[in-house]
Amino acid sequence: MGLFKDSNLITDPLTDDNPITIQVLGICSALAITAELEASIVMAIAVLFVLGVGNVIISLMRNIIPSKIRIIVQLIIVAALVIIVDLILKAFAYQLSKTLSVFVGLIITNCIIMGRFEAFALANKPWRSFLDGIGNAAGYGVILIIVGFFRELLGSGTLLGFKVLGDSIEKTGVYAYGYENNGFMLLAPMALITLGIIIWIQRSKNKALIED
Amino acid sequence: MEKRTDKNSYTILFAIGMVLVVGSILAFAASALKPNIDENKRLEKQQNILYAMGVNDNEESSVAMISTDVVADKFSEYIVKQLVIKGDDVRVDDQAYLIDIKKEQTAAKSKSYERQLPLFIGKKEGKISYIVPVRGKGLWDAIWAYVAMDENMIVQGVFMDHKGETPGLGANINQRFFMDDFIGEHLLDDSGKFVGINVSKGNADPTNIDRTDNAVDAIAGATITGDGVSAMIRAELKVYSSYFIHLKNN
Amino acid sequence: MEYIELFFKSIFIDNMVFATFLGMCSYLAVSKKVTTAVGLGAAVIFVLAITVPLNWLLDKYLLQPGALSWLGEEYATYDLSFLSFIMFIATIATMVQLVEIVVEKFSPSLYNSLGIFLPLIAVNCAILGGSLFMQSREIPTFGEATVYGIGSGIGWFLAILAIAAIREKIRYSNVPAPLRGLGITFIITGLMAIGFMSFGGMLTGGGDAGDENVISQTAIEKIKKEVEQIDNSKN
Repeated sequence: MGLFKDSNLITDPLTDDNPITIQVLGICSALAITAELEASIVMAIAVLFVLGVGNVIISLMRNIIPSKIRIIVQLIIVAALVIIVDLILKAFAYQLSKTLSVFVGLIITNCIIMGRFEAFALANKPWRSFLDGIGNAAGYGVILIIVGFFRELLGSGTLLGFKVLGDSIEKTGVYAYGYENNGFMLLAPMALITLGIIIWIQRSKNKALIED
Repeated sequence: MEKRTDKNSYTILFAIGMVLVVGSILAFAASALKPNIDENKRLEKQQNILYAMGVNDNEESSVAMISTDVVADKFSEYIVKQLVIKGDDVRVDDQAYLIDIKKEQTAAKSKSYERQLPLFIGKKEGKISYIVPVRGKGLWDAIWAYVAMDENMIVQGVFMDHKGETPGLGANINQRFFMDDFIGEHLLDDSGKFVGINVSKGNADPTNIDRTDNAVDAIAGATITGDGVSAMIRAELKVYSSYFIHLKNN
Repeated sequence: MEYIELFFKSIFIDNMVFATFLGMCSYLAVSKKVTTAVGLGAAVIFVLAITVPLNWLLDKYLLQPGALSWLGEEYATYDLSFLSFIMFIATIATMVQLVEIVVEKFSPSLYNSLGIFLPLIAVNCAILGGSLFMQSREIPTFGEATVYGIGSGIGWFLAILAIAAIREKIRYSNVPAPLRGLGITFIITGLMAIGFMSFGGMLTGGGDAGDENVISQTAIEKIKKEVEQIDNSKN
């Protein structure tokens, strides 16, 4: 029963309480890494892991963290967690760590992590915090993947590196009809505009979210 | 009533305990894993140097280093000599590939320090390669490369990597489509002067047919990383260029 | 000269918001009114101006490989750079807390106008970004680190001030309802970032090694000799 009672903790962040489009958390990384779908997916999975585990740890410690220094404590816990995972990967799975090391800094400075610690894990039990972490990371991941999908498709004509629109140099596929890649999509400002459009669509569907 | 966790004494004790616990966990993890990490890094350097001179397992379009099991043997087979140049001095040193370029660059900023310049000489199918490690700055953090050249300073291959460039954009400097563009490019211009290789946008030659134009096509969306690559090649290889210019003129 | 160049570079070319997209969360959340935006912006300048040079000292004398050599020769091989993140974060959080206490004690009026923004700053990734950039770009002197900190702060201040002014005015425009608020702010920021990209061409160049640094004639002869030996000794 307990499981179903809390299922809104996972489903809400996917839609009406999305961390990026509604709570305005984790924007920096959503802009930086969404030029390619693959990087978006990797980042989504990494945040899922860190936020899930981090939320549980903070929730377990919620009664012993002094409120005056809670921010620094939270930051240090997440940083230590990420650095240790990075060190272990470097020692035992070097190739994997090469791919993931780039994300280390982005995860530590990702305000979605701090935001959820502060807003949820500090006041809730571990299991609920875990669900909240997973739900918010998933909501974050969904937006990342949508933005990554459009930016890679329109920007380089590929998806996960596969040339789905044909070859732009040899003019096959849609390029034969005069289609050109829009290199602009690869630049970070277009990620902002893509996000703006996603918000537009989301709020047209659910009028309750409209700001005045 | 004041909560126990709001007291100053508790806060201070907690902070001290936290610093001790986290600090010792991190220090323990870092020192316990250091031998493994160092060994991985050492093998990676050998792989990268060999990759630059064309000893790799490349197939199709992805980067494939030779496997770590054979890299030590291959390294001693193909890299016939490692030199370290320091001022007027040149010494042979098989550990030259472990020289920390970052440390040398920093130390060389003070006038009293003469920088150590490693130069690896490889031999493959009877042909000599000069391989030079270079290091510079990208958008977020350090970028570095190994450049293999022949005696005319024509690039035989490069391996590039970075610490934290933007995934999907600047991070792609370690991908085949970018690195392979450098192969065959000239670092000297037609008159024998050193100009480097410019990573340029709006290149008249986007598919890079002209290998003598001292330019390769930039990655769209990664301007600053590309500029960093150009600057790194210009500044670092210039130091070595006097040797090649000397060879050419004599 | 380097100071002036670094100053303008960190304000415009490497603008925290428009070029590196750091500190976006508070930029979007606290830009509804100009007065609050000014408060937060000023606080960011202040904290960056303190923490970047402070972290520069930490990096130089504690964290860098070989940084501990001032303790004696035997410490020269220590490399504590894996602690960078934690140390920087700790400095920032401590400074923010300290600034809050000092301001509260000596200038209650300033505290009242800044007060609520100070804790927000500790989680602003532009602040940590400033220190990490300082480290990765190897800013050479304490003075330049200070200039860099102030410049980045002013860049962020300008950005939030501009967007807050636009958001105040845009309330009188007929924006499609679902786009109001956050949506249009995203799009405007995107357009502003495109504008700021035009600064990208300024002040680049340089970085050439001088001719005096190339390998010397004596060394060239020695290298030649070594290479000739290879030709003679092996196939």
